[in-house]
Amino acid sequence: MSSFILDGKQIEFKQGQTIIQAAADHGIDIPHFCWHPSLSISGNCRVCLVEVERMPKLVIACSTLAAEGMVVHTNSEKTLAARNAVMEFILINHPLDCPICDEAGECKLQDYAYQHSVGESRFTEEKMHKDKRVELGPHVMFDGERCISCSRCIRFCDEIAGEPQLTFVQRGDRVTIVTYPGKELDNPYSLNVTDICPVGALTNRDFRFKARVWDMSSTKSVCSGCARGCNTDIWVRSNEILRLTPRHNEEVNSYWMCDEGRLNTFKHVNSESRVSGPQIKRDGKLNKSNWDEAYAAAFGELKSYTKDEIAFIGSAASTCEDNYILAKFAKTVIGAKHIDFPRHIKAGDQDNILIREDKTPNALGAELAGIRPAADGLTFHAIMKAVDEGRIKALYVVEEDLVGLNPAYKETLRKLELLIVHASNYNETTELANIIFPAATYAEKNGTWVNFQGRIQRIRPAVTTIEGDRSLDNLAMSRLDKFGTEFDRWGNVKKMDARPVWKIISGLANTQSGKFRYSTSEDVFNELVKSVPDFSGLDYDVIGEKGAALKKFVNTKTV
Amino acid sequence: MEKIVLPDIPNFDKIDTYLANGGFSAYRKALTQYPDDIIDQVKKSGLRGRGGAAFSAGLKWSFMPKTTDKPKYLCVNGDESEPGSFKDRQIFEYNPFQLIEGILITCYAIGAKTCYIYIRGEYHKWVKFMEKAVETAYEKGFVGEKMKEVFGGGFFCDIHVHKGAGAYICGEESSLMNSIEGKRPYPRVKPPFPAQNGLWGNPTTINNVETITNVPAIINKGWEWYASIGEPKHPGTILFGVSGHVNKPGVYELPSGTLLTDIIYSYAGGVPGNKKIKCVIPGGSSMPPLRGDQLEGVKMDAESLRMAGSAIGTGGIMVMDEDTDLVKVLARITKFYYHESCGQCTPCREGTGWMLKLLNRILRGEGSTKDVELLVSVANNIEGNTVCALGEAAAWPVKFMVTRFRDEFEARVKESAAREVVNKVHSMRRTVNPISPINI
Repeated sequence: MSSFILDGKQIEFKQGQTIIQAAADHGIDIPHFCWHPSLSISGNCRVCLVEVERMPKLVIACSTLAAEGMVVHTNSEKTLAARNAVMEFILINHPLDCPICDEAGECKLQDYAYQHSVGESRFTEEKMHKDKRVELGPHVMFDGERCISCSRCIRFCDEIAGEPQLTFVQRGDRVTIVTYPGKELDNPYSLNVTDICPVGALTNRDFRFKARVWDMSSTKSVCSGCARGCNTDIWVRSNEILRLTPRHNEEVNSYWMCDEGRLNTFKHVNSESRVSGPQIKRDGKLNKSNWDEAYAAAFGELKSYTKDEIAFIGSAASTCEDNYILAKFAKTVIGAKHIDFPRHIKAGDQDNILIREDKTPNALGAELAGIRPAADGLTFHAIMKAVDEGRIKALYVVEEDLVGLNPAYKETLRKLELLIVHASNYNETTELANIIFPAATYAEKNGTWVNFQGRIQRIRPAVTTIEGDRSLDNLAMSRLDKFGTEFDRWGNVKKMDARPVWKIISGLANTQSGKFRYSTSEDVFNELVKSVPDFSGLDYDVIGEKGAALKKFVNTKTV
Repeated sequence: MEKIVLPDIPNFDKIDTYLANGGFSAYRKALTQYPDDIIDQVKKSGLRGRGGAAFSAGLKWSFMPKTTDKPKYLCVNGDESEPGSFKDRQIFEYNPFQLIEGILITCYAIGAKTCYIYIRGEYHKWVKFMEKAVETAYEKGFVGEKMKEVFGGGFFCDIHVHKGAGAYICGEESSLMNSIEGKRPYPRVKPPFPAQNGLWGNPTTINNVETITNVPAIINKGWEWYASIGEPKHPGTILFGVSGHVNKPGVYELPSGTLLTDIIYSYAGGVPGNKKIKCVIPGGSSMPPLRGDQLEGVKMDAESLRMAGSAIGTGGIMVMDEDTDLVKVLARITKFYYHESCGQCTPCREGTGWMLKLLNRILRGEGSTKDVELLVSVANNIEGNTVCALGEAAAWPVKFMVTRFRDEFEARVKESAAREVVNKVHSMRRTVNPISPINI
């Protein structure tokens, strides 16, 4: 392999790599604004100017190819002079409004101003004025004065979203970014520009002014919006999710996620409609109960039906662990054979970027974990037909709003004698339920999902529940690490009385047998790995932060 | 003295006159030779680009890949927008067919099938001239597929006249290509250079109008003849556009190496009112200005002007007499580059505006000696740090005008006042090692 010298350090590079790429591969950050590893090179910010021996002028590290024996200085007098000059230029017309800027705390310009500029400017003229608070589209707000014209957003729209909706207009320091007159920045991926904007010029209208970024904790998770399973960070303050952002995973979503997933997959967690505490219907009215009472009631009711009269509905939104325990309970404790889960296919809503037709995060995992009918069992539609015909009298539904899926099921479900539901939020299905178990959402529990590529990925609790607060299976960091600021009032906020599916069903099973002994979802997963060959070789550490391909999918090209 | 580019022949812009004076004989002669031989002759002739950088034309042609499946292009740069330059339009008006013949020879030499003549957006009149001439050439079969019948030899090429939309930056060769492609004319990051990655990613050569117009004479009369004209290191005739405080402003075709003082006093008729000269910009507004007392013995060719502390540029000579307010001149020049900075890269986008604001402050009488220093410092911070040469074009006039006429500027400002205002970006000096964990 070829190598060059970067500040006295030998750096290996692949043919065709630029200096900045080769450095990045070795974990060395050469300051840059406009360069982004997934976008074309524009070379406009000039912050990455470096000195290369035997080259007459400074060169930009983002476009200069690394060459054998090249000697590069990122800290030489000449380089520092150029970098300081460029930093000063960038800042002369920048409003320096960090105290009221949403980007503060995660702003490249702010970071570099501290790291790489001299701290003061010689500019005493009036700054350029440009349009502020421009609604570029339904989700994105633009501040022209903060913009440093790096063109990342323009290149993102052109190259990644495939919809060239943004452009520069004007010249010189009047340059600003607009959409075509009468058009909006409304592509399905528009909010990614707020992530890659190195300053606070492009902000997320849904998140604007909600929190300072340093007051939030972030937790590595996976988007629940479709079968892609984009890697995300969940940002929480005071036990409330304020935003999701994509997390880099080249195998799954690169640096991106869609607006739908970003905006519409977490609001139910914070919603007023959350179910808190088990609910048992008596005389047509739901009453809050305690867990043990609810377990006993549910188990007793289930036992009063024959196994042909009972069906179980799992969910592709639940984790593999949840579905595994559900299947195990249904098959070994109840002896049921009618077990399946409904698909959520939105025909045609798919592209060749990220979005998948299957709007669930774990269809593959649910099936592999055992949510499928026995040889003589009924599939989902057959189960619903059997309910309609009165052949099935008791239905156990996990994390599925069947009426929401198909309004006609309202009448179908009325024919049941017993409907037990796990739900995080009240909905039309819970209205018909005899017993409701409050379900912890994906943001409140550990577990795994298998995406459409056959890649297993972990979700982690970002928000705590009453139960989670005391369990071994909760937040990854200690309280102080995670909620370290005095503005994060995690201690005295409302917490839900909700539990993950695997824990509820274990409780149910243990009212009689006591054989479902798991203290964490990891315990469940380890048993799953032993009993389902598709998962062999895996554990939570192997899956790690970026997931792992299930063996039989390793060589499947699905990206 | 024989004139090569603008001969004193009446009606030379008419095809019949052009043909009667040996028109297209150079192309016929070129067809009897190998393309590489043509490139070789132009290289040996010493023909250097007339667009500003004075780069060897033959050498530039030789960068074009010999074996490639891609189409090759020639662009003729007629975006002449530099203040003080007005020579190419004379060629469009008075000698369009020699330009066309030069294009044919160049296309043959580099293997290009398509040529774009890119003409400055404000040159409506000259676009019309050139369109007319190209149309005539097509009708006569001198351009396009009919060339094969008219000249024989199996080679043909097409010429398109492309009118710019009115931006100085389009004269920068990579901006010009983006403009032809219909894109925003931002200069491209180099390398790759146009010969590798030009129009639509294909090999492309870009030459100035005047450069190309010289080519037929070199082929016709031989490289030895051309190399013997004027200064050996920068041979041939050069079109000098003289403007400012002279009695007879205009375009003069003279051998390279002609004395600057001869051009001003003999050809351009001297300074009105016999005033003294304070300042001369010898190559268009972006080139370093010379002091009036530095003009003696300065010859007008690339090497001599470099020695004299300036550059040949486009040969646009701007003469300013002793009564000229150079602060005002510099403010006006800087306003031009501020207006024309494309805004792509940081130093030029931000720096041109800053320099203009400083100059305006000095003009208003509110400047201090510190502002003069700052002006030079800002210019130095732009120079060498930009994507294209417009950074230098904006920085050089400021840097050299201030350093060469410092007295003029200092006379306009107050002793550095206690105006110790600093715009605090943050209160911390550098405390962090510049190399920090990767942060996309």
